[in-house]
Amino acid sequence: MASIIKETQSIKEAVTHINAIDLNKFSRLLTRILQKLHLKAERSFTEEEEEKLQSALSLEKQALNLVLETVSFILEQAVYHNVKPASLKQQLESIHLHPDKVDALSQAWGSTGPDTIEKFRQRIFAPKKLEHVGWQLNLQMAQSTQAKLKSPQAVLELGISSSEEAESAEKLFVEFSHQELLEFYNKLETVQAQLDSLT
Amino acid sequence: MADRTSFLGGRIPVEVEIMAKHLKDLDKELFRKILKVVVNAVEGKDCRDSMKLIADNGTLSEEQLSHVIAGIYRLLKDALRLPTSSLKQEVFKEDLRELRISEEFITDFASVVFGNRRAALEAAAEKQGPRLPAIEEFRWRVDVAISTSSLSRALQPSILMQMKLTNGSSHRFEVPVNKFQELRYNVALILKEMNDLEKRSVLKIQD
Repeated sequence: MASIIKETQSIKEAVTHINAIDLNKFSRLLTRILQKLHLKAERSFTEEEEEKLQSALSLEKQALNLVLETVSFILEQAVYHNVKPASLKQQLESIHLHPDKVDALSQAWGSTGPDTIEKFRQRIFAPKKLEHVGWQLNLQMAQSTQAKLKSPQAVLELGISSSEEAESAEKLFVEFSHQELLEFYNKLETVQAQLDSLT
Repeated sequence: MADRTSFLGGRIPVEVEIMAKHLKDLDKELFRKILKVVVNAVEGKDCRDSMKLIADNGTLSEEQLSHVIAGIYRLLKDALRLPTSSLKQEVFKEDLRELRISEEFITDFASVVFGNRRAALEAAAEKQGPRLPAIEEFRWRVDVAISTSSLSRALQPSILMQMKLTNGSSHRFEVPVNKFQELRYNVALILKEMNDLEKRSVLKIQD
């Protein structure tokens, strides 16, 4: 496999800093970055945390940024190319990362890589997304124009969120008679058949 | 029979009472014309023009016509509210005889309430009830994302749904495959619950 990480000047500099970091601290750093990798809008650490990290890792602000961005970049490249842990290990060795850091990175990738890739897969590009499905089944007994009814009515609640902010969810309420619900179900079955034909 | 309350209620609506009085001198053909227009109105059709035609050509004063129309409308509405299983044709006729409506007119009323337009009238009544919006149009699309800025090979299917509701609003949203399964499962579950509900004995009790 072609190299996914070129040993540029900034990578060289970052590697020097990373090699100097205590292994335990580096592992914890790695875990956090992996957790937040798929959240494009969020930084891995808050500003306050970054200040604490500076003193914990005895790094200048700029150097810390370089370390964080480089680790993120390496992992993003691994995601993009769906790299195997063994292959990642080789790549990291070739940029002269310290063997214990190489192991930490490739092991972390080995255990959380598939999940991380799945999270990226699930991140659909859509302004609005179905998040929640709820329903209520009612038996209508009468209405202003008709007495003594017994007609079941279902109300479907569709929670639709905008982008990645869950708070701005919009709720859609749709009512169905038995016949209408059956017709809707048949359409969903057609969609399902289409999905089934993909695999 | 004496203890039974009229389908119009314990106290006969005043518009029906006044209408019954006016019917005594009403020409049979004119009554039929008016009845036909009122039936259209009950079905929710626009009948301003046909009503104007009757008003212009008729022998009735505007006031008399208004009374007749209001009474017929009320009578039909009240009769159609009740399912045929609970208001029988004979009982209906009996109740109208009580109001001293002539036999000819009673036959005409009965042919509206119990005739072959009943289904259409009931459907119209159902439509006029309050309800949440229903789906008017449903379109969908299945996409497979091949590559993204984060993944060279994503191969992730997703569904884009577009729903137009009867209140005129339109909604377009993406449905991830796992959410789609949830939606489909829930719709199937409601259908099952509906079937169970319809089978239950509570629904078989005759009114």
